[in-house]
Amino acid sequence: MTGDTMVSQGKLLVVDELHKSFGSLEVIKGVSFDMDFKERLVLMGPSGSGKSTLVRCINWIEPPSAGRITFDGKLVESGKYDIRRLREDIGMVFQQFNVFPHLTALQNVALGPIAVKKVARKTAETEAMELLAKVGLSHRADHKPAQMSGGEQQRVAIARALAMHPKLMLFDEPTSSIDVELIHEVLDVMVKLADEGMTMIVVTHEIGFAKEVADRVIFMDQGLIIESGSPSEVFEHPQQERTQSFLSKVLLA
Amino acid sequence: MFKWSIIFENLPFLLAGAWTTLSLTVVSMIFATVAGLLVGLLNMFGGRVIGAITRVYIEAVRGTPALLLILIVYYALPRIGLNLPQFPAAAVSLAVCYAAYIAEVFRSAVESIPKGQSEAAFSLGMSQAQTLRHVILPQTFRRVLPPLANEFAALIKDTSLVAFISMEDLLFKAKIIGARTYNVFSPYIGAAIIYLIMTTPVMQWSRNLEKKVE
Ligand SMILES: Nc1ncnc2c1ncn2[C@@H]1O[C@H](COP(=O)(O)OP(=O)(O)O)[C@@H](O)[C@H]1O
Ligand SMILES: [Mg+2]
Repeated sequence: MTGDTMVSQGKLLVVDELHKSFGSLEVIKGVSFDMDFKERLVLMGPSGSGKSTLVRCINWIEPPSAGRITFDGKLVESGKYDIRRLREDIGMVFQQFNVFPHLTALQNVALGPIAVKKVARKTAETEAMELLAKVGLSHRADHKPAQMSGGEQQRVAIARALAMHPKLMLFDEPTSSIDVELIHEVLDVMVKLADEGMTMIVVTHEIGFAKEVADRVIFMDQGLIIESGSPSEVFEHPQQERTQSFLSKVLLA
Repeated sequence: MFKWSIIFENLPFLLAGAWTTLSLTVVSMIFATVAGLLVGLLNMFGGRVIGAITRVYIEAVRGTPALLLILIVYYALPRIGLNLPQFPAAAVSLAVCYAAYIAEVFRSAVESIPKGQSEAAFSLGMSQAQTLRHVILPQTFRRVLPPLANEFAALIKDTSLVAFISMEDLLFKAKIIGARTYNVFSPYIGAAIIYLIMTTPVMQWSRNLEKKVE
């Protein structure tokens, strides 16, 4: 037990024996892993294997059923670590973008700092403009999501998450709902973030992105981690049969 | 026999009733909307106990005639020392009644917002209240206007129930004219026309809004 505390000190995130059930259906069946600062982790696995659920447990959008999460040296538990503080420190990007349709791109990005951190509107909007520039959307600042492509909406969503200055970014299949020819717009932004040293967990089936960016690739199946290693280890020498068959399907697609 | 002349001769009298109808509708609607929003939010986010209490209120009101509520407020409450004049009594009863319907309007509008919206707000560290205020409610307002306009039109008609406590609204005035002229047909047709003039634009507006929202 004392060992745990020691380990968690150098780590940004420690997930320990995490379980999650929906009613009687156990979806995450005891998952453990940890992450260093600036580490880039890619999460893969067949549909329904629990990737989204795992990622959503990390920022408590789905409260875990059992297990422990230590973030930035603090044990996360309802009551002990303020869940809202935790979420301020963890950015999340969703498959369906979930941008706010009633707000412009600029307002989408500025809302978090204004509402949560009580940043003055002017200051928040100035920084929001900088973030929009960073994701290549300065010219879209005053547009509403309905006027934007999927790739643009997702980049607004990334800027919105970055506005909170998170220590960790979670991406749940950020390009799965985007037209193929626009996927690179989003991936480019994510590569840039990785280059800047952002710690991130990315659920994706983009092998090229994983090879370029990931320090580690984790494979999940049926609620468990079945394999993990560097991209070259996992992609070139997968040990598990299930990893091999999954990879062959993804590579064919 | 139907005679236009009876309607025209008594038009100022009928219009005075229509004014009562309209002002009662507007006042009741304002209170019902504010209360309905509150009840709807408490029902959804107030926790178990408050959720159950508001649910009982909503179902109780929806399951009983509005007229009963009016009679209770005007005739029964004075027995326990709560004396309200006609207009306030009518407005309170109608507001209590319509708040229940409007609470349901708000509830279904909030529930029609995709879950991803509040999840995105929560992921930024927003509280439930901040999420409601900045993300959910602004999106519900547009969806809520068409059904609210429908409730408004329904309320215009339901105010006619106050004739039972002898309030001189449009319907009651028509009844008086009928008694006075021994012609019930004409004043009632006149009242119907005036009701239609009030309700039709509201319902049309509601339909236009609905198209816009889609
Ligand atoms: N809110 C929920 N309620 C019930 N079951 C759920 C819920 N969310 C996910 N599941 C189930 O959990 C399993 C894992 O889902 P998910 O984490 O979305 O997998 P993945 O992201 O790997 O496709 C699936 O069987 C899914 O049906
Ligand atoms: Mg998923």
